[in-house]
Amino acid sequence: MIVSVKDSLKLFGISIMTCCAVTVCNLFLNYYLDLSAIAALIDNPAAQMFYDAQLMTAKVVCAVSGGCLAATTVVMLFFYIKHYIDSHSKEIGILKALGYSDFKIAKDFFVFGLSVLIGCLAGYLLSFMIMPGFYAKQNADGYLPDMAIRIHGILFVLLVLLPSLLFAFISVGYSLLKLNQPCVNLLKGIVKSKGKNRDIKNKNSFVAEMRCSVLRSRKTLVFFIVFSSFCFSAMIQMSTSMKDLASEMMGLMIFLIGVVLAFTTLYIAVISVIRSNQKNIIMMRVFGYESTDCKRAVLDGYRPAAYIGFVIGSVYQYALLRIMVDIVFAGVEGVPEYKFDFPVCFITLCAFIIVYEGIMFAYGQSMKRISLKQIMSD
Amino acid sequence: MIQIRNLTKYYGKGESRFKALDDVSVCIKDGEFIVILGASGSGKSTFLNVISGLETMDSGSVSYDEKRLEKMNEKELTRFRRDNTAYIFQQYYLLPHLTVEKNIKMGADLDHNRDFFPAMEAVGLADKRKKFPSELSGGEQQRVAIARALAKNPKVLFLDEPTGALDENTGRLVLDYIIKLQAKQSFTMIMVTHNANIAETADRIIRMNSGKIVGITENTEKKTAYEIGW
Repeated sequence: MIVSVKDSLKLFGISIMTCCAVTVCNLFLNYYLDLSAIAALIDNPAAQMFYDAQLMTAKVVCAVSGGCLAATTVVMLFFYIKHYIDSHSKEIGILKALGYSDFKIAKDFFVFGLSVLIGCLAGYLLSFMIMPGFYAKQNADGYLPDMAIRIHGILFVLLVLLPSLLFAFISVGYSLLKLNQPCVNLLKGIVKSKGKNRDIKNKNSFVAEMRCSVLRSRKTLVFFIVFSSFCFSAMIQMSTSMKDLASEMMGLMIFLIGVVLAFTTLYIAVISVIRSNQKNIIMMRVFGYESTDCKRAVLDGYRPAAYIGFVIGSVYQYALLRIMVDIVFAGVEGVPEYKFDFPVCFITLCAFIIVYEGIMFAYGQSMKRISLKQIMSD
Repeated sequence: MIQIRNLTKYYGKGESRFKALDDVSVCIKDGEFIVILGASGSGKSTFLNVISGLETMDSGSVSYDEKRLEKMNEKELTRFRRDNTAYIFQQYYLLPHLTVEKNIKMGADLDHNRDFFPAMEAVGLADKRKKFPSELSGGEQQRVAIARALAKNPKVLFLDEPTGALDENTGRLVLDYIIKLQAKQSFTMIMVTHNANIAETADRIIRMNSGKIVGITENTEKKTAYEIGW
């Protein structure tokens, strides 16, 4: 068996991502279903308006956060599978050479669904732990009649069982696609470069050329860097901006999810960048390039992507809250005016610079510890 | 001149600790072509790695004129490699996402060598400069590795079984390139091989066994890559 349960458990990034997604979705969908059940009990216009806004909020939050997190999980899963096949190409090549069919090898990747199941189950249970407090905060002003928390079996099927199965099948399908290459390529670990044969610019240093090449060959990682910066920027700014628009609990929840997602994706992206460039880094150091050159060639190219992600996150959170205030809560009285919070944006940017540059510095230092002997023992 | 004195290197810990290099001493003159010959496990690659500054030694000394490797820290070793040495490995280790010319530029940049086209021409790859390593044969990839090493104008070139992964024809071709370039550019060349025939092309042959030098032979009848057996 080429993929074991242990390998699946290493996909903690996917488990964290799905845990966050299911926590938010189950919290709001359960609330949505429980709210729908008391529709007949709403007896005055003010309560009706509040009720409608609550229903709309639940739908929007589920669609935005659930959809966004699910899409990211799929990309992350693809990335993991590709990385797994690349790093185990020799073993897979041997199996293919021995006569194992692509499907026979690919079906082992079904076990990757386990990481999704673990994340979904954890998220499902977590959402029920915070649900009583969430319900109470949502109806703190007492507009709505008392509402009991009910467990909806359909949500367990939709948010836990179906995603786990779906992701398991996606894993098999995608690995089947990636395994469809000549056996000899897998055995020799041949990397087919898809880059264009661009003309060399003599004025550019090798480090600059290398930086461009690393970026072009690892587009998925660029996505992760943009996404992690986006999460950091959007979620942290949103959590502070929401203190006037929603409960503190909502703000804290969004803040925590943002921080967890930002660190998880950033960690995975940086680790992958270094691991996938390990041999290149070693070769550069063998030839006499210093660790700072290796860092500039391998990590520094992602900096613009990180700051672009930050800007997109700032715009996104502003647009989302603007829509919430102008459209969702349009008829609700007492909703405070919402403006872009520049001081919060500045503080978040400072925090982001410290965190991002700190992580990059730490990994730059870790490059020094890569043993040159590895290349000789390969 | 490279002066190696009483070089000792251990691997492993506790009961599994063993001596990979055992009190090795030798002197290598500038511009010399040395072949280190020995069977698998004789310590020849460890010897090459230690004297080239890729690995540390447990005792002994390696001096390049006044520069003492054993006294250098990691940063100084990196600078030493940048200014003095280049490597060619059996497995080429080209950067897969870079074209031929960009791989060669990796070496050239360290010597601020902007005109590395001659290095590419010298190994006969000028017309393949836009290809990626995966689009080249094994022999062509090794020639890129040679051009990458030579573009940096090294004082000492280290080669670890450079023809080990090549067939006879390609192996002879690559060896011929290296020997001719060494004769033309007069850099010091130290090559590790287990092939006794290849050793006949060198100025001097150092034989190793069980981490020790068991014989040093002056080769008075140097042969070309096409005159030796394979």
